[in-house]
Amino acid sequence: MILDVLAIALIGAGLTLATIGLYGLLRMPAIFDQLHAAGLVTGPATLLILLAAIATGSAEIITSAALVFIFVLITAPLSSHAIAQAAYRARDLGEDDDR
Amino acid sequence: MPEIVLSVAAGWATLLLVAGGLLLLRARDTLHRILALDVIVTIVVALLTLLSYLRDVSYYIDAALALALLSFTATLVAARHVHGQGPFS
Repeated sequence: MILDVLAIALIGAGLTLATIGLYGLLRMPAIFDQLHAAGLVTGPATLLILLAAIATGSAEIITSAALVFIFVLITAPLSSHAIAQAAYRARDLGEDDDR
Repeated sequence: MPEIVLSVAAGWATLLLVAGGLLLLRARDTLHRILALDVIVTIVVALLTLLSYLRDVSYYIDAALALALLSFTATLVAARHVHGQGPFS
């Protein structure tokens, strides 16, 4: 019962963060502002939803979710950094001043 | 977990996926498109996780892991390719 409530809270928080992040992505045109908002979707939102696996009580699901959790924890910042680095280089080359 | 909560959450995630598609359509250049695709894949990972909870099977999360791996590689290579660099240079 307590685990169920915790899982519902985690899923609700994750989806709310994803909604806020997507709103930011749609509102802000510049790539660096968008990266800031995307960090909310690709990081905490997904991790919170994956954390809710504890309420399923299934060892298979919890193990798989833990693997994805660790993977996302490592790769989400790396992806964002790669995009930011590409945008920075593009700005240095003067391809688009509106970044 | 209550099934109705998971169904509502899956519906919500699907709406977020539509918003991600809108973001992809509105993208001005390649970097914006790469970012939009990264976000869309992340939402699909979340949706697959919710489906896994809903149906009580772990296969969906395994698919999500494979998708996350592919998305990570694709994002890295595409971001480096934008300025004529190779994946290992």
